[in-house]
Amino acid sequence: MTQLTDDIIIRAVSRLMIPFIQLYALYVIMHGHHSPGGGFQGGVILGASFILYLITHGLEEAKIRMSEMKAGFFSASGLLIYSGIGLLCLILGSNFLNYGRLSVILKVIPSQARSLGILGVEIGVGITVMAVMFSIFFDISTGGIIPEDEGD
Amino acid sequence: MNNFFLWLGMGLFVLVLLCLYRGVFGPGVLNRIAAISAIGTKTLIILLLMGFIYQRVEMFVDISMVYALLNFIGTITVAKYLEMSGEI
Repeated sequence: MTQLTDDIIIRAVSRLMIPFIQLYALYVIMHGHHSPGGGFQGGVILGASFILYLITHGLEEAKIRMSEMKAGFFSASGLLIYSGIGLLCLILGSNFLNYGRLSVILKVIPSQARSLGILGVEIGVGITVMAVMFSIFFDISTGGIIPEDEGD
Repeated sequence: MNNFFLWLGMGLFVLVLLCLYRGVFGPGVLNRIAAISAIGTKTLIILLLMGFIYQRVEMFVDISMVYALLNFIGTITVAKYLEMSGEI
């Protein structure tokens, strides 16, 4: 599943499409509160673009862009963004994830702070979902056996 | 105009049923892959027609684009799986 095959049409088409898929994923994350979508959906599209890269370009090239270690790092850092914003609200003396309180440090009115806080949380969710989607596909397709150590 | 879109969607629904027949009973795997891919494309158009009926096209365009992307990736994945397992 992760081996490289010499189908040039698929590789050329995916090389053309992957940047636009990722741009569209960022649009879905950013416009989550105006249109259908949000952090999870954008993260799924972003993860699908990496899965497409892994399928079409093989494991060796895909590990340069996104390895298992990087996927773990991204999934943890997205969760850190999410819970960090929540805890920041808690520290500022409000409820967990009550973004209106962020207006104290962002120097904007509470409704704007609410919008920005939701955007930050969506970005965190998107990063986590992208990394976890990629990680699940990576583990299933390699059967848990990664050809060589990637720790270096 | 709404009736026009409604009838167009119902016509596409009949075509989806025909493709579904090919997907379920079709001889061989390749016919099934092609049928599923065609069903995905028709579903995309049906979603857009629903958007026209509900007057919220800008919402449904997003959903149908995601549908098209995942349909493309899914078809490629199944094809590659079959190639790797040597069934073609």
